[in-house]
Amino acid sequence: MDELELLKKDWNRKDNNSFPKLSYNDIYKMILKRSSSIVKWIFIISLLEFGFWTALSFSFKDFDGFERFNDTDAKYIILGLTVFGYVVLFYFFFLFFKNYRTISVTDSAKVLMENILKTRQTVKHYVAFNLLFMIGSTIIVLFIEFKQDSELIAQVTQATANGNAFMFYAKTIVIVGLALTLVLAILLGFYWLIYGILLKKLDRNYHELKKMEL
Amino acid sequence: MDKELEHSFIALLEEHQNIVHKVCRLYTNNYDAHNDLFQEITIQLWKAYPKFRGDSKFSTWMYRVGLNTAITLYRKSKRSIKTQEFDAVQFKIKAEHYDDTEEQQLKLLYSAVHQLNDIEKALVFLYLEDKNYKEISETLGISEVNARVKMNRVKTKLKTILNP
Repeated sequence: MDELELLKKDWNRKDNNSFPKLSYNDIYKMILKRSSSIVKWIFIISLLEFGFWTALSFSFKDFDGFERFNDTDAKYIILGLTVFGYVVLFYFFFLFFKNYRTISVTDSAKVLMENILKTRQTVKHYVAFNLLFMIGSTIIVLFIEFKQDSELIAQVTQATANGNAFMFYAKTIVIVGLALTLVLAILLGFYWLIYGILLKKLDRNYHELKKMEL
Repeated sequence: MDKELEHSFIALLEEHQNIVHKVCRLYTNNYDAHNDLFQEITIQLWKAYPKFRGDSKFSTWMYRVGLNTAITLYRKSKRSIKTQEFDAVQFKIKAEHYDDTEEQQLKLLYSAVHQLNDIEKALVFLYLEDKNYKEISETLGISEVNARVKMNRVKTKLKTILNP
C-alpha cells in the first residue's frame, strides 16, 4: 500500500483528531494578543531605519563644523543635497507603504513571499542609497573644501612648503576612507545580522518554491 | 458592528479549529510550539477576516492563511528544532527493534513527514486533506503540473527516508 494512503487513512480518522478543543473564550483571548510575525518585525525595523537616517541628517544640521562651510560653495551643495535627500526619503517612504499594504496573508504562498521580499527590498535600496549618498557627498564636500576653505588651503600651502604635500593628501584620504569603511562595515554587519535571522526561513522556503518552477 | 464581526469569527473558528490544529501538528513537534503557532494563525485569521467575503468556504480560506503563517510568517523557536531531531533519532532506533506493524509504520511515517521541508509538508498536508491539484497549486502559487511533479518527488523522498 502507498505510504501516503496509509497516512491519509489515519489522518482523517475521527479519534485521531483529538486535539485539545479550545473554547469560545480561549479563542477570544487569542485574538486580543499581538502578532509576532516577521511582517510585523520587518515593518518595525524598517520604520526604525527610516527614522535613523532622517535623524542622522537632522543632527548634522546643527553640527558646529558646518559653519566653516558657510564661506565656501559647499553650503549651496549641502543645501541641494539635503533637499534631494528629503525628496528621495519621501519617495522611498511612499513605496514602502505601498508595498506593505499589498502584503496579504490570503494570497498564495509564493505571492505573499514575493511581496514581503519586495517591501524589504525597498528599505534595502533606501539604505544603499544613503550609504552611497554619504560617500558621494563626503567626497564632493572634501573636494570643494580643498579648493576654497582658506584654513585648509593655508595648511596645504604649509605642507607644500615643507615638501609634505603628498603626505598631507594621503593622510586625509586614508583617514576619511577608514572612517567611511568603518561606518559601512558596522551598518552592513548589523543588517546582515538582523535580516539574516529574520528572513532565513522565508528565503529558504521561497527558493524551494522557485526551484519547483524550473 | 465590531462585536458582531468578532462573534461570527470566533464562532466559525471554534467550529473549524481542527484545521489549525492539524497545521500545527505538521509544523511543530511539541506542546508549546503547537500553541504558539496556533496563536499566530488565529491572529492572522482575525486580521484577515474583515476582508473575507465568503466567496470561498471559510475552511478553504483557513487552509491558505494557516499554511501561509506556518511557511512564511511564523518564526520557529530553536527549541522545537532540537526536539524534532531528537524524535527522529529515537524513532529510527526503535524501528530496528519492533515488528513492522501498522501502528509502528504510522509512527515512522509521521516522523518521516516531520523531516520534510516546509513546502513539502504543505504539499503533504493538502494531499492528506484531500485537496485536488488545482487547489494545491493555487494555495502555493505554483502551476498544477509542478505541484503534481513535486508531489511525486515527495512520495519518493518519503520512501527513501523510510527505507534508507
